[in-house]
This record gives sequence, structure tokens and C-alpha cells, in this order.
Amino acid sequence: MSRMSTIRAALGAALLAAAAALPLAPAEAAWPERPITFIVPWGAGGGTDAVARTLATLMEKDLGQPVNVVNRTGGSGVVGHQAIASAPADGYTVGMVTIEINMMHWVNLTPLTHKDYTPLALVNVDPAGLQVAADSPFKTAKDVVAAAKEGKRLKASGTGQGGIWHLAAAGMMSAAGADPNSVQWVPSQGSAPALQDLVASGIQITSVSLPEAKSMVDAGKVRNLLIMDAQRSPSAPDVPTIKEALGVDFAVGTWRGIGGPKGLPPEIAEKLVASIKKAHESKEFKDFMAQRGFSAAWMGPQDYAAFMAKSDADLGSIMKAIGLAK
Amino acid sequence: MPDLIHNALLAAQLVFQPQVLLVILASAVFGMAVGAIPGLTATMATALLVPITFFMDPIPAIAAIVTATAMAIFSGDIPGALLRIPGTPASAAYTDEAYAMTLKGRGHQALGAGLVFSAIGGLIGTAVLIVGAPALAEVALKFSSFEYFWLVVLGLSAAVFIGSANVVKALIMLILGLLVACVGLDNPAGYPRFTLGNAELMGGISLIPVMVGMFAVSEVLRFCVDTDPPLRMVQGRLSGVFEGIGATARRYKMGILRGSLFGTVIGIQPGAGADMASWLSYAMSKRFSREPEKFGTGHIEGIVESGAANNSALAGAWIPALVFGIPGDSITAIAIGVLYMKGLNPGPSLFLNNPQNIYAIFLVFILANLIMVPLGWAAIRLSANILRVPRNILMPVILVFCVVGSFAINNTVFGVLLMLVFGVAAFLLEENGFPVAPAILGLVLGSMLEETFVTSMIKADGDPLVFFERPISATLGVVTITVLLWPVGSALWRRWRLGRRDGRVPG
Amino acid sequence: MKVNDALSGALLALLALVVLFAVKDYPTIPGQDIGPAAFPSLLAGLLLVCSAVLVVRGLQDRRAAWVSPGAWLRSPRHLLNVGLVVGGLALYVAASDTVGFIPLSLLILSALFLALDVRPLLVLPVALVATLVIHFVFYKLLRVPLPWGWLQGIAW
Repeated sequence: MSRMSTIRAALGAALLAAAAALPLAPAEAAWPERPITFIVPWGAGGGTDAVARTLATLMEKDLGQPVNVVNRTGGSGVVGHQAIASAPADGYTVGMVTIEINMMHWVNLTPLTHKDYTPLALVNVDPAGLQVAADSPFKTAKDVVAAAKEGKRLKASGTGQGGIWHLAAAGMMSAAGADPNSVQWVPSQGSAPALQDLVASGIQITSVSLPEAKSMVDAGKVRNLLIMDAQRSPSAPDVPTIKEALGVDFAVGTWRGIGGPKGLPPEIAEKLVASIKKAHESKEFKDFMAQRGFSAAWMGPQDYAAFMAKSDADLGSIMKAIGLAK
Repeated sequence: MPDLIHNALLAAQLVFQPQVLLVILASAVFGMAVGAIPGLTATMATALLVPITFFMDPIPAIAAIVTATAMAIFSGDIPGALLRIPGTPASAAYTDEAYAMTLKGRGHQALGAGLVFSAIGGLIGTAVLIVGAPALAEVALKFSSFEYFWLVVLGLSAAVFIGSANVVKALIMLILGLLVACVGLDNPAGYPRFTLGNAELMGGISLIPVMVGMFAVSEVLRFCVDTDPPLRMVQGRLSGVFEGIGATARRYKMGILRGSLFGTVIGIQPGAGADMASWLSYAMSKRFSREPEKFGTGHIEGIVESGAANNSALAGAWIPALVFGIPGDSITAIAIGVLYMKGLNPGPSLFLNNPQNIYAIFLVFILANLIMVPLGWAAIRLSANILRVPRNILMPVILVFCVVGSFAINNTVFGVLLMLVFGVAAFLLEENGFPVAPAILGLVLGSMLEETFVTSMIKADGDPLVFFERPISATLGVVTITVLLWPVGSALWRRWRLGRRDGRVPG
Repeated sequence: MKVNDALSGALLALLALVVLFAVKDYPTIPGQDIGPAAFPSLLAGLLLVCSAVLVVRGLQDRRAAWVSPGAWLRSPRHLLNVGLVVGGLALYVAASDTVGFIPLSLLILSALFLALDVRPLLVLPVALVATLVIHFVFYKLLRVPLPWGWLQGIAW
């Protein structure tokens, strides 16, 4: 019996010692001393997920700790963005902050704005396009706008109600002097089903980005009419800009960046940015982006913050103009 | 023809390399394990493979995904049959049936049939994939929301056929499932419904935790309240897995063929994968069976047909994925990403420029379905150990597994909470004779039902007749309505005949 | 625990009414004739009809008691089992972030093993082995970020 109690006492002491040692360990170690979680607010297999996984794999090699991509999907991005913003600001949770962060709060879906994040880097911008089916009566973007001006209601799709491509289509009409309500938006689960519906003649136009439409265009099923950007895309040089096609200036596109929770310690943020930059400049990442037809872009923390602020104001005014936001 | 042989030879050179074969073997074992663990789906196996495939050449990368998913879809049958917990949603349709067989001491036959006919279904699906890839994708491509709407309604009508004796209770569970699917932001209007201001609920209620709760936690609870004197666990005989398989195959050859082809066709439809294929196919099997009354009592027929269907759907889903880059299901959605990553951009040009790569993928499909048989046999034999573990140790361990599986879907304890809530609810509902399966079906198809209907009405400017204007849609509509009205019609017909024989007018 | 169909039907009807009440203020979306309230309202309506059928059937079945508690509700032992499962899961939901997966899994497993009459000598070893195996498979192989909680300092 006394031997038992000795063992118990020894065990207890060992436990206590272990417990006492616990809080000391993290303070000594330098970041990163454990795996980093990389939250993606969109589903596995999508474009954002692919970009995140490619970057994460490259950062992992650089940082010497696993960078685990975690998909937190749902709620049109609300859930994942919320998860990034409310994670502890210790550098062990970062995430993809996408354009939706500048749209959701305008329609009161979430109180979150871009100010709730520590901006790290912008990695990619993809302008909107305008597509019709190969056998569509619309030959040029002018035909589309003309039909809208005649009072036709054009069935359009590409994303959910109030999503970025919805803004692009309605904003384009508005910029070209047509009624933005001439776009009758048909909500869809994303660009792929929308393009399929375009081919199946369920809808008349889509306004998704060029890389999203690439395989359908290559298959000869869909035609690009314009790109909503100031210059043509290097990967599709034959697609005219909106200025060339309609004579108006209008640019809108989706973008993807990396951010952490607000208040990330500056020295950790610096290390993260350096690692992202290294991954972004690597040949693997460039090859990957080129293969997917995504246009890689780079902005550091300050530029990215300014870019987000401007994007937020722009999107807000478009959404008000087309009656999506009050 | 010489081209075909030339390409097949080139493809064989790509595939029959030690490294590729090793990858196939390793991912097969991985897929078996993931599928057999409740709460981990074939989709998850794929998602987990993506970072690993990053370091591989294109062919082994695709091979890893194809093999792992095929194995996971089969091995989901194992916990389904032994513990009444489907390993993947695609096994849920016939889980009760297989478990009933285990209780009758015929678990080995249920699993053997699942294994062999999964492989056969997979091979038939692959054959369709090889022969008809471009042509079939062309057909599926003509589908708009109108056609999808009918397909979904057809899927939901399965709830009536799967349903228990009590049609009203089955219908109530279906409605509850559809209502649960309404929760969140992902509806055509993009308006948050029933979220109580909670950000997690905005994302909606994900299927996996609900399934784990309704199928696994409720089972653990049932074990805990079992006041009968402790029963010895039915000692499942798991030797002789292939016993009587030849006779079964001969007896149900039409069902095997029907399940495989039907599964392939469902797989081709974007958005409808192995899950829907197995539900619909099970219902279809019951519909056409000569002994439908035996379904649900441990009858092998439905397992044969829908076991073949869910594996053939997997192959079918690759048809639109390869030809047009449109995912047939969530697995191919991820696979398309890998194809792009590896420079094999899906589209007709892939068939023109690098046919040997396409043939190599076909070859991997064939190999995967072939090694499924010995590996699956080994997995079934090993799983016998699950049965020998005392249930009072097994059940708590399963509970922890469920916790981790529900957590892993989104890496949030919200999944665990959902699992708990739905587990307790399912336990209470089942005690009162409400069947669980229709609720799952409602949850799976709910958002698609609403979305296809709403978007169709927008496109038709509010005119419901458009559902019958497009030729394919009209055909599907007529088929669906016939299937829906069939039970009512045949009941009326029987009454009328009876009435005539008795010389009375039908009342 | 069996409840008379009339009672469960009444509860379901109540649920349908709650749904109808909840969706009544949902907005109409410009450009969509069928708003976010339509589909849930339709379902709630169907649910009302079905639950009415259930109530009628329950009332017709005169033999059935209103509530017939299962044997387990009268047995403290079995009630404890249920309490441990539900309570264990609730505890995990509430505390996994701070306490961590390994301690909680150990606790839940040991408590359930004890309640389900596993031999006392086996309880801790089996709980430990099961916890560590599950942790290894999910954390290391499948990279699921299970929380470390209290064990953060000695994370491996």
C-alpha cells in the first residue's frame, strides 16, 4: 500500500512538473515553431483553393513547418472570412481574403470589412469577361448592349445573386449607358455551371473571368466578347478590352490576397510576407498560374491595404448604382 | 484502329512503371482506410491527396485520385454492413439492408457482393467512359436547370420507395431534411435563412456531421440504453466472402447491368455523383424487383444493384470532367484542379494533343477496379477484428472517431455540435418509427431542388410550362410524373379490377 | 421513449408554424419572383398537412398511451450512459479549444468505459492507446488540426 502511494506521489509530482513547464515553452521559441493554418473560405478544388494550396506548399518548404490548408466553406465566403478574422493574432492562422470581403458588408451579411485583417499580400487579380454561346445571335459586345437598350431583359449568370460577376454584368450595362436592370441575373453555384447553362441555352450571357471560361472557349462552345480591364490579357490577346469593344472605361475583377487576423505582430507579419513573396516569385507558382490562366499580381502589405480600401469604395458605389445595396 | 493500339501502348508505358504502380497501391490502401472510417468521405480522401499529388508526375497524380476514390466508395460498405454506419454517403442507401444481412449471419455475403459488384460496376462505368466520353458529355451538356429540376424530383421520389411502411412519417422526414437544407445563405436569393445571427449557420448545415450524428451517434445511444441482458454480438462470418457470388451474379445480371449503366448516366450529370446514383439505383432495384417485399429485411438484390451503381457513377463523373472541364461531382471538381496543375487542361484538345494521357487515365481506372477485389477482400477479412472487439470498448471509441470525423470536415467544433444535435434527434425519432434515410435525401437534394426551380422560373419569366417545352426536359418530366403517380395509379387500377370482379363500381 | 403520434404530430405542426412565422418578414429580391420565403413556406405547409394526418391517426389509436417511457428511462444506470454520451459530446464542443483533444478524449473514453463495465484494469490503457492512435491518424497522417489545448507546450 505504501509503495502504491509512493508511486502515486511520484506520478503526481511528475505531472505537476510537466504542467509547470508548459507555459514556459512557447515564450522561448521563435515563430514558427508549430504548424500554420491557412484558411480558404472557398471549396476544395476551386480556383482560390488551388492558388492557396500551391502557395502553402511552397511556403511550407521555406518556413520549415507544415502549412495546412483548411477549407472553411459556406455562406458565400462569410464563414471562412469570419474564421480568419476571429483567429488569435499569433501568426499561426492566416487565410485567403477574397473580393467578397468588400461586398458582403454592403448588404449587411456580416459586419466584417477589410479593416478586420492584417493585410499581407495581394497575389492575383482576374478581370471580368463577357461570354456568349458559340451559336448566339450576339456577335459583339455592342449587340449585347444594343439589345439591352431596346428594353430586352438579358438572362445572365456566373455566380450567386449579388456576386462579383453579377456586379460586373450590371455595372457594364450601366457604364455603357443601358439600364443595369436589363440584366436579369440567374443565380448559380459558380462559373462552371453557369457556362454549362450558357451552352445549354438556358441563359444568354455570362460575365465570368477569362480563365474560368478557358476550357469552354477552347472547346469552341463559348465566345469571349470583351475583358473588363484597361489592357488585354496576355493569355488571351485576341479578346478586346471594354474600351475597344464599347468605348467606355470600366474595370472590375476578382482578386485574391492573403491576410491574417487584425493586430498581427509586425515582426511575424514581415516574415510571412517574405515567405509569400518567395513562393510567389518561384518558378513553380508562375508555371501554375500560367497553366490555369490566372494572372499573377503582387502587392505588399501597404499597397494591398490601399488597394482593398479603393476596391471597397468602388464596389460600394457600383452596388448602390445597380440597386443591390442601399 | 492502329491509332488506338498505338495510343494504348504508349499509355501502358506511362502506367506500367514501378513508381506509378506503387502510387496506385499506396493510394488504394489509403482509400480503403478513409472509406472505412465513418465520417471520412471519398471527397475528403481526394482533397487530402491534392497536396501530395503536387509532388508527382501527371499520371501518378491522377492515378492516386482515381484509385483512392474507387476504393473509398467500396470500403464505405464495410462499416455500413458491420456497424450500420455508412463509411461514405454513397453507401447510405443500402446500409440498413447490409446490416440486416449481418444480423442474419450473412454479412460476408453482403460485403462480398458489394466488393465484386462494385468492381464490375466500376469496370462497366470505365467501359462507358472509354467508349462514350465525348458523345455522352455532349448530351449532358444540353441540360439546363429545367432538366435538373426533374432529375432532383426523381431523386426525391426515391424517398417514397426507400421509405418504410409508414409513408406519412417518411414524407415528414423528407420535409424535415428539405427544411434543414434551407438553413444558411446558399440559396438563390443569397438571403440568410434561419441563421439566428450565427456565422457558422450562414454556411448551412453540412451533410457529414448530420450523417455521422444520425447514423452513428444514434447507434451509440441505442447501445447505451439497451436494457436487454447483454447480447453476444452476432459473430459475423467473414470468411467465404465470394461464396455464392456466381449464383448471385447470374440471378441478378439484369440488375447489375442496369445499376452500372444507370450509375454511369447519373455520374455524368454535373452535381449528381455516387451518392445520388446509389439512392436512385436502390429505389429502382426495388421497383423492378420480383420480390420487393424482401427489401429492407436483409435482401441482397438492392446491394448488388446500387453497389454497382455508385462505383460506375465515379467513372461516369469523369466524362464531363475530361471532355469539358465540368465536374460531375465534388471529387472530379478537385481532380480538375489537379489536371490543370499538371498541365493536362481538360477539354477536347486534351483528346487531340495527348491521347496517350487520356488512355493512361482509362488504364488506371481499369487497374484500380481490378486490384479492388484482392485489396477489398483483405480489408473485409481485417474488418472482422472490428466485430470481435467487445462492443462496450468499440462504441466509445467509435464516438471519439465520430467527433474527429465531424470536426475534420470544416475543422470546427460546430460540426461536433451538429452531430450531437442530429444524433439525439435521430435517436428519438427512430424510437417513434420515423425513418432516417428520407431526411438525408432531403438534405442532399434540397438546395438543388430550390435552385433549379427558382432559376428555371427566372429564365422562363415565371411561366411553369417551360418545364415541358424543352424536349429533354419534357421527356424527363413525363418520366418523373409517371414514376410519382405509379403507386397511386396501380393502387387505383387494382381497386378498379377488384371492383369489376365483384361486380361493383369503384368507390 | 414512445410518444403518441398525436403528440408528435402536434409538435411537428408547432415547428411548421414557427417556420412560417420566421419567414414572414423575408424580403423580396429584385429580379426574382420567387423569394427566399417561398420554398420554406411551401415545406412548412406540407409539414402542417402531414402532421394533421399524424394527429388524426394518433387520436384514432385509442390503445396508445400519450407517452410510454422506454425501460431505460427508469433505469438510473442507462440514464447515466445516455448522460455521459450527450454530456461528453457537449463538453467536447465547449472545451476542446482550451483543454485539447487528447485530455478530453481520454476523459470521455475512460468515463464511458467505466460506465459500460469494461474491466477497470483495461480502462486507462485502452483509452490511452485509442486516443493516441486516433490522434496519430488524424493529426499526423490526415493533417486535421486537432487542438492541443493544455498539451500545447509538449505538442509533437
